[in-house]
Amino acid sequence: MVLDLIASGLVYSSIIVLGSVGLSLIYSIGDFANFAHGDTMTIGAYSALVTFGAVGTLGGTLLGLPYGFFVALVAGIVTAAVVAVITEKLVYQGMDVGSIGLLITSIGIAFIYRAIIQLRFGADFTRYDIQVLRPIDFLVPYGIRVTLHDVAIVISALVLVTGLHVLLQYTDLGRMMRAMSDNPDLARVSGIRTDRVRLWTWVIGAGLAGAGGVFLGLFSRLVPRMGFNLLLLIFAAVILGGIGSVYGAMAGGFLIGMINQLTPILSELGSLLPFVPDAWGIPIGIEYADAIAFVIMVVVLLVRPTGIAGGEL
Amino acid sequence: MKLTGSAGLVGLTGLAGCSTTSNTTTSTSTTTSGGSGTDTTTSTSSGDSGPYTIGMVDAITGSLSAFGERNQRGKDIALADVNAVGVNGRDLNITVEDSGSESSGGVSAAQKLVNQDGVPFLIGAVGSGVSLAIYQSVIQGTDVVQVSQNSTGLGLTDFPGLLRVSPTGRTQSGALANIIAEDGYDEVAMTYVNNNYGSSLADAFANAWDGSLAYNNPHDQDQQSYAGVISEMNSSGADAWLFITYQAEFASMVNEMYSSGYEPQLYGADSVSGDNVLENTPEGSMEGMKVVVPSAPVEQDNYKEFVSTFESEYNEAPTVWSAYTYDAVAIAGLSIQAADEFTGAALGDVVRDVTRPEGQKATSYKAAHDILADGGGPSDVDYQGVSGPIDFDENGDPVGFLQIQEVKNHEYERIGFIES
Amino acid sequence: MGVRAILADPRGYWTGLTRAEQGVTAFIVAFAALLLFGLFTGGLSPTYFLFLVGLAGMYALMSLGLNVQWGYTGLINFSVAAFFGIGAYGTALASANNSPIAGDLAPVVGLFVALVFAVVLALLIGIPTLRLRADYLAIASIGLAEVVRIVIRNEDQWTNGSAGLRGIPTFFDGWPVLSTLPQTMPGIVISWLPGETIVLRQPFWQAALNVALVLAFIAAGYFVLKRAHRSPWGRLLRTIRGDEDLARALGKNTYRYKMQAFVLGSLLMALAGVFYAHLNLYVEPGDLDPLTTFYVWVAVILGGAGSNRGALFGGFVIVAIQQGTRFLNAFEWIPFDVGPLRLLVIGVIIVLLMRFRPEGVLPPQRELIWPSVVEGAPEQPDSGVRGAKGGESSD
Repeated sequence: MVLDLIASGLVYSSIIVLGSVGLSLIYSIGDFANFAHGDTMTIGAYSALVTFGAVGTLGGTLLGLPYGFFVALVAGIVTAAVVAVITEKLVYQGMDVGSIGLLITSIGIAFIYRAIIQLRFGADFTRYDIQVLRPIDFLVPYGIRVTLHDVAIVISALVLVTGLHVLLQYTDLGRMMRAMSDNPDLARVSGIRTDRVRLWTWVIGAGLAGAGGVFLGLFSRLVPRMGFNLLLLIFAAVILGGIGSVYGAMAGGFLIGMINQLTPILSELGSLLPFVPDAWGIPIGIEYADAIAFVIMVVVLLVRPTGIAGGEL
Repeated sequence: MKLTGSAGLVGLTGLAGCSTTSNTTTSTSTTTSGGSGTDTTTSTSSGDSGPYTIGMVDAITGSLSAFGERNQRGKDIALADVNAVGVNGRDLNITVEDSGSESSGGVSAAQKLVNQDGVPFLIGAVGSGVSLAIYQSVIQGTDVVQVSQNSTGLGLTDFPGLLRVSPTGRTQSGALANIIAEDGYDEVAMTYVNNNYGSSLADAFANAWDGSLAYNNPHDQDQQSYAGVISEMNSSGADAWLFITYQAEFASMVNEMYSSGYEPQLYGADSVSGDNVLENTPEGSMEGMKVVVPSAPVEQDNYKEFVSTFESEYNEAPTVWSAYTYDAVAIAGLSIQAADEFTGAALGDVVRDVTRPEGQKATSYKAAHDILADGGGPSDVDYQGVSGPIDFDENGDPVGFLQIQEVKNHEYERIGFIES
Repeated sequence: MGVRAILADPRGYWTGLTRAEQGVTAFIVAFAALLLFGLFTGGLSPTYFLFLVGLAGMYALMSLGLNVQWGYTGLINFSVAAFFGIGAYGTALASANNSPIAGDLAPVVGLFVALVFAVVLALLIGIPTLRLRADYLAIASIGLAEVVRIVIRNEDQWTNGSAGLRGIPTFFDGWPVLSTLPQTMPGIVISWLPGETIVLRQPFWQAALNVALVLAFIAAGYFVLKRAHRSPWGRLLRTIRGDEDLARALGKNTYRYKMQAFVLGSLLMALAGVFYAHLNLYVEPGDLDPLTTFYVWVAVILGGAGSNRGALFGGFVIVAIQQGTRFLNAFEWIPFDVGPLRLLVIGVIIVLLMRFRPEGVLPPQRELIWPSVVEGAPEQPDSGVRGAKGGESSD
């Protein structure tokens, strides 16, 4: 059972990482907690749904996913980014209320995103029109039950995150983003066009969220609330990793995703640990999986508010 | 200017609230005041030819909105049938209010219908907790008749004044226990959705089941990942897995089982089955699953007619939930026809009798209406609904019909019937 | 200003108000006139109207509570729903039929239990979070509120889980006169309406009792808050909100004061929960839905952070939106579902408010000054301004 859970933990973590990295970027450069981040993921998912329906499978498949799905993935990323940029220009840019005021505004924006999606698509659930796959045969004897789709999700998340890393470390834009996150005034003084960097941050952060939403839809299902349901877990991941640190957000996302999926192990600890009687276990049921993540979040805030990475981008 | 802008905004929201004073829907009929505990409105002007208005609390939005949609469709077909014949020569009108699938929403909806619109007959609600809340805080102590269209929770049996057309979930749970035992299993892993519906059916099953429960845990509605539940059920060692949950959650679970390669024998309560599940799960993922579904008597003529009307209208087969709502509306119409006056007390006197076994069997609204219009009393007619004979017992519960379905080639096939 | 003063010089009073206050006053007067018109012509049922007033009062109570925390002290508390819920559950566990712990106790005992629960929960949530930065407090409070909801939903042996607690008596159950008042009061016959005679019996009196209860709660809360607002304690809270480092530099233990404000606000929210339980007569874990928290936030922002009158106004607007959109169902030509439409309206209101008028409709102004000070303020003399300072007479 443990390997099984670790596998699904990896997939769930990938999705959370895509969300938490974007949120951390926006937190560090935009300087406020964006409560609309979850619903940005929902936007990505539903745009991909529409695109995939229009484009179809386009022939071949890669890792069990039709080429058309990857086109839809790109569409989801782009739509989420565009919506975020529009929101930034129309709403956030002209506001002078400080980060708390922006936090509250982002809640309103989250409601607006969700309401529009529900008005258009209804409240019922749906899925992408992609065949669910059987587990990969040669891994089953080892107790690992993953499908090609799961592998695709993990690999795509790795690709996107690596791309972000390359961007941050080796490009001008990345350097400017790191400078802004460290000290925005100094960055502006040294000639960096901070508002342009901000726009790019929104593009990248929301784009990653959109990708996360698309994969969430593939892993589970599409409902208008899907992003909001995940939002608090993503916040927990960002705080665990350290607000403002993208690499921390990656670590935090990974940990929170794994802990969330590995909760069933708690009540079975006895049978897994060598010297402990088999019947023993920590009696926390899986209905508390989310609650555990929230408690971890609060503990981190109390004990080490800078999180794992603590501080810089 | 900023100030005028905000004042205008305030004005806009005020306008939304202003509509509380707008005139309500149609007028009530002329009656003299009756009933010991109700507010009454007496119209001195004539309302003799206007339609009768009753109320309905439905889950139009919220977690149970799928049921709300089915209920609205059943209600629309029923209204068409009832008004084709008429009630006392007049039309029947239904004011629908949304409960939002929450008890607080249901109570405020019922407050509006009972106190503002003054309806003497209320069809509501979907969720068992919502129906109970409405009954205890709004209806109890008044004369208004309440008939729940979808609630299957066991708690409603304790309130004889709260009627329902959907049978109690106890029959379902008992039937499931029997089926699983007959299939030769003595160990079951069960998971149920964590709300009033799920927990009451799960409790009833645990009582009825003689074997052992290898796993008995709730899961939350509306979650993105049920991998943990499926994993735990697998490690419980049982080969028979029972699911008491809704379509969205169950579809996710089926996909999870399929992509993990688990193939246990599946059993389910009513809400796990439906076209939405079939569409969103792969072929062969539920092969051999047995589901117990409250059902209409499918061989009966009135049911077949209902199905064909529904299919021509909505391009899909109806569920029993639409049939229940159809019958609730028909019963309302018949009660109004049979009663002396359009008040809660008078309707309450006749509503049970029109469906009880004494009297001539009538399988359509028209037939029952004609018996009453010809001078018959409420005990001279026995309305047989499209969902079953109904026959309210002393607790306000109907007779239940259950269908046992099996999934063969990714379709539901009926393999048996149970009458309670 | 006293009512007598207003009546003596209405024009002077009117010009003394700010534009916003004038707008709101005009709006309220117009709305009240509309409501009265509806009541007198029979378009609006008095019983239903009283039910809506009760709901508005409930939200007003929660807004007053959040106002203490956010408006006075600057605490971003997103756990309003948890305190509302714990208040409702506290009284329900004491007085409901099927309570797994106690049950069938008098509602007044339930009130006491609810307040105790609220204090305990405030300490549990406050101790970890109140030292945090504002936005961390927001995130942590919403996380802990969710934990509370999850615990209430799953610990069946304490809370009956998702089956909920029912059979809750009304608040005045067991009181000597009031418990049978709705049944024994004679029906009021209203027969002057054109064409209709309305007889108001038990539901009307029951609703009237409920409204009396919530008004009593609000009055108590409002009175306490008004005095607190103007006291040195209130001044200190405002300093903490404006610049906590300054307050600390002045030697104040800001953490203790924040905790006091947090507990006070929580008590008010729990009071709203108690009222709800004895109104709905049924509580379930779904009552702790975080959406309630956001509704109350909209009410407080709309009313104006720090303003008690604004909180009351905000509570009323929220109920207007919630229940008013119900009447949209009658217009079938609207192609949209009402549920998401309501969410959209709330979201747009939040964004517009924060964009154009973040201080709300009725920001606190003269509220903050004792009226005796305002009236006793020295008049501007015709000449010799300097002498008027320091209270010297202008001879």
